[in-house]
Amino acid sequence: MTRVSKRLGGMILVLLIVSFLTYVVLIAAPADPALMSCGRPCTPDRLADARAFMGYDEPLIAQYVSFLTGIFTGRTFGSTAAAVECAAPCLGYSFRLGAPVTELIADRAPVTFSLAIGAAVLWLVLGVAAGTISAVKRGTLLDRAAMTLSVAAVSAPAYLVGLIGLLIFGFTLDMVPVSGYVPLTESPIDWAWHLILPWLVLALISAAVYARLTRTQLLDVLGEDFVRTARAKGLREGVVLRRHGLRNTLVPIVTYFGLDLGSLLGGAVLTERVFSMPGLGSLLIDAFGNADLPVIIGITLFSTAMIVAANAAVDLLHGVLDPRVTHVQKGIFS
Amino acid sequence: MRARHAVAAAATVILGLTGCNANPTAPAEPSGFAKGGTLRILSSSTEFSLDPAKSQSLAITSSGLVLRRLTTWDISPGKPPAVVPDLATDTGRTTDGGKTWTFTLKDGLTFPDGSPITTRDIKYGVERSFAPELGGGLGYHKTLLDGGEAYKGPYTGASLASIVTPDDKTITFTLKTAYGDWPWIVSMPAFSPVPKASDDPANYGKNPVPSGPYRITSYTAGAEAVLERNPAWKQETDQVRTAGPDKIIFQLGQDTTVAAQRLVADSGDDKGAFGANFVPPAQLAQAQSNPSVKDRIVTSSPGALAYLVINTRRVTDVRVRQALAYASDKRAYLVASGGELGGSPASTLITPGIPGRVAYDLYPTTDPAGDVAKAKELLTAAGQTAPKLTLLTRSDGQWSSQAQALQQGFARAGITVEIRTEEYESWFEHVTSGERDDYDLTLTSWQPDFPSANGNIAPLFASTEIGGGGFNLSRYSAPEVDQLIAAATAEVDPARSGALWAQADKRILQDVPVVPLIYTRNSFLRGSSVENFYIGEYPTYPNYLKASLKQ
Repeated sequence: MTRVSKRLGGMILVLLIVSFLTYVVLIAAPADPALMSCGRPCTPDRLADARAFMGYDEPLIAQYVSFLTGIFTGRTFGSTAAAVECAAPCLGYSFRLGAPVTELIADRAPVTFSLAIGAAVLWLVLGVAAGTISAVKRGTLLDRAAMTLSVAAVSAPAYLVGLIGLLIFGFTLDMVPVSGYVPLTESPIDWAWHLILPWLVLALISAAVYARLTRTQLLDVLGEDFVRTARAKGLREGVVLRRHGLRNTLVPIVTYFGLDLGSLLGGAVLTERVFSMPGLGSLLIDAFGNADLPVIIGITLFSTAMIVAANAAVDLLHGVLDPRVTHVQKGIFS
Repeated sequence: MRARHAVAAAATVILGLTGCNANPTAPAEPSGFAKGGTLRILSSSTEFSLDPAKSQSLAITSSGLVLRRLTTWDISPGKPPAVVPDLATDTGRTTDGGKTWTFTLKDGLTFPDGSPITTRDIKYGVERSFAPELGGGLGYHKTLLDGGEAYKGPYTGASLASIVTPDDKTITFTLKTAYGDWPWIVSMPAFSPVPKASDDPANYGKNPVPSGPYRITSYTAGAEAVLERNPAWKQETDQVRTAGPDKIIFQLGQDTTVAAQRLVADSGDDKGAFGANFVPPAQLAQAQSNPSVKDRIVTSSPGALAYLVINTRRVTDVRVRQALAYASDKRAYLVASGGELGGSPASTLITPGIPGRVAYDLYPTTDPAGDVAKAKELLTAAGQTAPKLTLLTRSDGQWSSQAQALQQGFARAGITVEIRTEEYESWFEHVTSGERDDYDLTLTSWQPDFPSANGNIAPLFASTEIGGGGFNLSRYSAPEVDQLIAAATAEVDPARSGALWAQADKRILQDVPVVPLIYTRNSFLRGSSVENFYIGEYPTYPNYLKASLKQ
């Protein structure tokens, strides 16, 4: 119980630190969101009005405190009949988009989650399979081909791979739609149909990392004494590979996987952009282009939460996969 | 200013000067305006809000499809832009030389629920644009209307006394001082009717009460907005909108490269689509070289002015500023801006297509690459043969390469320019807030918000526009020019005001607070079924109100 509460405390502390740093860096940055929403032409009086309404006239610390309390109590901007309500948990309000940041994130998250989870499953399966084959067939042409391909894929920029994928499968072969997103609840088939190419693009790039990782780990493990013992006992090669080999490579793979998936859940900026998917990544990039600070802060915090949560999940899984870990839990702050 | 667009404008083109046969701006006389079909508009923007108070939309683009204003723009190929009546019966009447303006609404105008559109709805629409809660729109009227500076919108319970509606059909505006371009000001989004009972300030933009031919029927945040016919709109009351398509779908958040690729491919639904963004350089080159695509590129005539700002508080000697004008390599700048499709060399502040413009060149050179000898002569006369200057520019788009093109040009005359780059938002704050005056030069571009020379000159050179969000980036302050601006602003007669603006144009450039570099051009792509898709002389954006689909 103490371990869990310690763990939770650590997570909250990380979120606090990240939120504070993001806040300080962004609010202290020279871009002035009030200036961007002052209208044209802008006058000093109107600018002051905009600042006051958006809450940017307060000292930095006071702004940060309002932001934090807003998460629990909600916030109200302005005091007239046109006051803007931002219900708890309020992560700020985007005056540009006219919506609470929490609502924006909730709207866009399903897109990013669909993209990330589908791609993650694909790259895990593809990567581990390719890595295993490479390790088992070490030194063969197949191994070398797979590893060369994975170097190429690791170094390829997502935007470029996406664009090439679109040109080939979308425009030339006309096999998949070239843009857009259909919610799962609306039509599961269209949902997958629109996502298949983005999944493949993301999976291709990440699977390469997993293939190399699996291969290296598996080769290490297969050279261990206990594997020799297992073979000596007369176990079939398939069983050796599964029970002794792969099982022991899972810990590093799960670690990587958790963190990769965690960071992808915060938005796949380039992939979302090239496939015109209205996910968190495209929301973020758009916010950057328009000095929409509340959105930038909100998404940064959300991404951090995803990574922290993934980290915790990985630690828990370690316990399951490797009984030795349970008693020497290495949490971030424990 | 359309600063955001200007950024994109710079990013538009990087073509060589060779072999680019730009599409003529004036296409053949539009064929009939066919009715029916679904038009798709591909936009990189992820937001779609038509709140008239928050809108900076041009009269002829998205918001014009849904919202009518008192006046609007007649933008036709090969003709200068004109202000024409929209909801009003004329473009405004004044009896006191431009200080008080009266408009009367046309008969038979209704909202979808059948209730008549009244001047009270217009007054309320204008009033709500003053609320700080609804900031961000075009706000020229806010400083012009009497009492506007102190007014904070209707939500505090106050109303603006300088807007009077003696009956449902009549509305009178009282200005602080005479303003001849008021008929253009009332073509802006804030002059659309907003029924008070339907006002939900935070969400109005997603579902505004329509007065134009379309209404928003569905909106998926960040992805799509669907417009369908507003049955209450009557063609006979509207002289500019043709309302061809039955349905208009805005596809949002589209990557500009992919969108251009879709339009090049021209298959399926994309045949009836056009791109709202400039065609990126690579796709423009590709489209240019493909005969079946080339006809579907529409390039504007030269429009926005790209110019070099000289901070007159730091570069105080006019001879040094003149030397900068002579040493500016406009040819290299144009190449860095995409060549012929990127624009043409500029010499005046008032941009082509703006009524009243007089072409002249105070610092003529035989070659657009500049006159280095003349520049050196002026520097010697000023006693500064090797000035060192800093040029602040943006890191996005083509701004850096454009800055380098100029830097090399200046080096020929012995002027050393150090380039500093900043992200767009930082740069914007840096140059408009007026708090840090530490740059000698900067680069930007400007297209007026309405086609009057006023929009070319007053926002950039009036001494009141220095700092505080204003766009007088040269920190230029000349009492004589301020007086000229005041006189031209007050003039109601277009011919006389035009002459005054032309005079101001020349007078300002005598002091060289800026060096006009090029008039930029924009290119757009359309699908093969889209008809009546053209760009007028102003603005350098397509006219959405007349686009129709081949039936």
